[in-house]
Amino acid sequence: MNYPVWYLPETGGGFLIALIAILHVFVSHFAVGGGLYLIYAEKKALQEKSQALLDFTKEHARFFLLVTMVFGSITGVGIWFIIALVNPDATSFLIHNFVFGWAAEWVFFTVEIAAAFVYFYTFGRMDSATHQKVGWVYFISAWLSLFLINGIIGVMLTPGSWAENLDFWKGLFNPSFFPSLVFRTCIAVMIAACYGYLSASFTKNEEVRIAMSRFSAKWALVMLIAIVPSAIWYISVLPAEAYSLVMGKSPTIAAVLPWGSWGIVIFLTIMLGAGIVRPAYNLKPVALMALVSALLIMGGFEWTREAARRPYVINEVMYSNGIMKNDVEKFNREGFLPSAIWSKNRALTEDNQLAAGKELFVFQCYSCHTVNGTNNDIVAATQSMSYRALVKYIEKIHQVRYFMPPFAGTEEEGKALAAYIAGGLHGKEIAEQKEAVDPAEMGKILFEENCSSCHEVDDMVDPMQGTEKQEIVEMLQTLDEISEEMEPFSGTEQEQNVLADFLDSLNKGGQ
Amino acid sequence: MDPLIIPQPDTISVSWGWFQFLLLLTFPLHLLAMNAMLGSLAIGIFQHLKGGSVQKKLAHRIAVVLPLVIAFVVNLGVAPLLFVQVLYGQFVYSSSILMGISWILIVPIMIVAYYGSYLYDFKFTRLGSAGPWLAVLVFFLLTIIGFFFSNNMLLMSLPERFQDYFSHTGGSILAYTQPIFWPRFLHMICGSLAMGSLFVALLGQFRKASDPELEKHALRIGMNSFLILTSINIVAGFWYLLSLPSELMNIFMGGNGGATSAFVVALLLVTGALYSGWKKKLWSTLSYSVALVVVMTFMRSWLRTEYLKDVFTLDQLQVVPQYSPMFFFFVTLIAGVACLVWLINKSRIAFREE
Repeated sequence: MNYPVWYLPETGGGFLIALIAILHVFVSHFAVGGGLYLIYAEKKALQEKSQALLDFTKEHARFFLLVTMVFGSITGVGIWFIIALVNPDATSFLIHNFVFGWAAEWVFFTVEIAAAFVYFYTFGRMDSATHQKVGWVYFISAWLSLFLINGIIGVMLTPGSWAENLDFWKGLFNPSFFPSLVFRTCIAVMIAACYGYLSASFTKNEEVRIAMSRFSAKWALVMLIAIVPSAIWYISVLPAEAYSLVMGKSPTIAAVLPWGSWGIVIFLTIMLGAGIVRPAYNLKPVALMALVSALLIMGGFEWTREAARRPYVINEVMYSNGIMKNDVEKFNREGFLPSAIWSKNRALTEDNQLAAGKELFVFQCYSCHTVNGTNNDIVAATQSMSYRALVKYIEKIHQVRYFMPPFAGTEEEGKALAAYIAGGLHGKEIAEQKEAVDPAEMGKILFEENCSSCHEVDDMVDPMQGTEKQEIVEMLQTLDEISEEMEPFSGTEQEQNVLADFLDSLNKGGQ
Repeated sequence: MDPLIIPQPDTISVSWGWFQFLLLLTFPLHLLAMNAMLGSLAIGIFQHLKGGSVQKKLAHRIAVVLPLVIAFVVNLGVAPLLFVQVLYGQFVYSSSILMGISWILIVPIMIVAYYGSYLYDFKFTRLGSAGPWLAVLVFFLLTIIGFFFSNNMLLMSLPERFQDYFSHTGGSILAYTQPIFWPRFLHMICGSLAMGSLFVALLGQFRKASDPELEKHALRIGMNSFLILTSINIVAGFWYLLSLPSELMNIFMGGNGGATSAFVVALLLVTGALYSGWKKKLWSTLSYSVALVVVMTFMRSWLRTEYLKDVFTLDQLQVVPQYSPMFFFFVTLIAGVACLVWLINKSRIAFREE
């Protein structure tokens, strides 16, 4: 860890990134697709020689300017600020590797701003052919911005050979570059159509409202349909691990996908029903609902993309907590704290176990976990785990849950982290394994150490119903057949028997 | 004394000189836009509060261009921030985190200020007497952003302050308690207001044909404000110079040939700017002043180098060469400038035809 951690235990940096990023991408994609929408709306007005449609387009251009120039551009800078605060290692790495990509993107951003202003302020003052050309200059520069950012964001998920050679061009045109570009272009136009639909709902001229509602809905539906094959293409190029996370292995993706799916259903229903069939039904609340559903689609996609690269922030290069993949072995061998320059406890002693454990938490876990916060709270997540269970769990965290980075540090540092979570946060006893007490107590301890990271004792009562002890023993030897996330019990035969006895006792109402 | 905590810098793809060149090329552009924004807004507020037909017209002209100027302040700030992160990432990422709360507050503050400027523009007449107070709020918010930026740019040069992290991990550190901060900030703000005054005079020139009264008024107000503010800023500048630790001040007093020459050139330029301003010659005052801003950014860069020289020099950055992306950027830049020229020409024609 090269940089200090901005530590806001209850809030968490991830929440701040998500908040700014999701709102930004919703507007930034509007900024891209909206250019095309304006050009064609103006073209339609000119072809139909309709002053009312031209007035609508100008009004929409003003709305577009206010949303994209202010909220869009400032939250864009905001993302840069927040990722640099929350994940400075990854930000610095990407800035240094792609500096000229970002610099070129800045050029497109400049042209985009100038063209947007010229387009709006010369509406009705400039001859229409030139005005439309200005619109095209805007759209092309905005799309080229997307082109570059898409490449740099894409490398974080699908680095391909860039992960080894750090070649700028290999990174930019990474394996997901083209599917992602097509997908994002479609979604940008779809969102722009949705904003157009919203503008239409505010129009007082009934004829214009109906015409532009239908016009917008057609655009939105065509793009929604085009999104499907591009999404399939996108998913097909994902690395195996990311693919399995997207397909349900990641709880965070599994939690958000229903929201995205509902977004699609509502969006489709509104655009078909109150856009194509009955555009007169496009009233302000309906259009706002369409906008919210589009936000759910966009948010669902971005959330999934972010979560799909877990446990990395830059796939195969840097873990979510800023630790380089290549450094883990060194930290396991030599210790993490001695090289953590922003750590107060550079050496682990008996006296500083809790304080050092807290620092290990801040450096290695806080990037995803809050403390008593709403987002991925570590206290709630470890409620049922004892110190010993945590020690065992931390050792194999990445094997048990692929989407979590491996703990990088020595065995003693792992214990310090466990001590902080169990003792410091939960006030539980911090004690190494007790010598054999009675078998029932030992069984419970083995359960805690080996199973409690994923299972509560109470949760095991039902699955154990009607299961004989011999079956439990066999099950413990073949846990990987039940779920890929489990591995066969690795204790001694005696421990296996004791654990099986404990589980069998649940059958009989004992614990 | 505790050892300094300085992160390892990342590697760079071309020699550091290219980044320094790009930083010094783009930063003055950001400064000029920022000066135009802050200075013209301040004058607009005074004109609006003072009342009178031509004063109100001038305030309105300023209100109309303000959102456009803000857009370019933000845009032109992106490039130098990018290049400074490449050259001094290990310092600026750290200082940003140390003042994380204030640093991220810039985003919502900027959004409110920016929307406020559009409201002031679009509803200038309808806002009535509330208008100037809205403008005061926008000015205040923009100045706060400047305050946070000044804090960060100073804090990044003071790695000895990085130790404070251990007692303030929540990002609440600022650098304004440093004795150097206030003269530095005052010098920057005064300079902004002075340059912004020239921008107001320039704005009047665009109405020379259609509204000669406004043009004359803008020129008078702009040049007078420039003279007063620049005179104050000379005092502020010397206060800043004298507040510098002696070894840093010394680089402008003969200790470093380049820095001293830049200082001498800056003094000559400010003399030229004041003289032209006194003679009410807008274009030559503007030329001297723009050159002065450029030279000031050079001096600022020398000062930062001097601040950090014991712990870091730019030639320590490791280069892992990849030059083709830079050429790609230059091609993009040329194409972008061509597009901008085309856009300006087309809008000039459109407004002229009007």
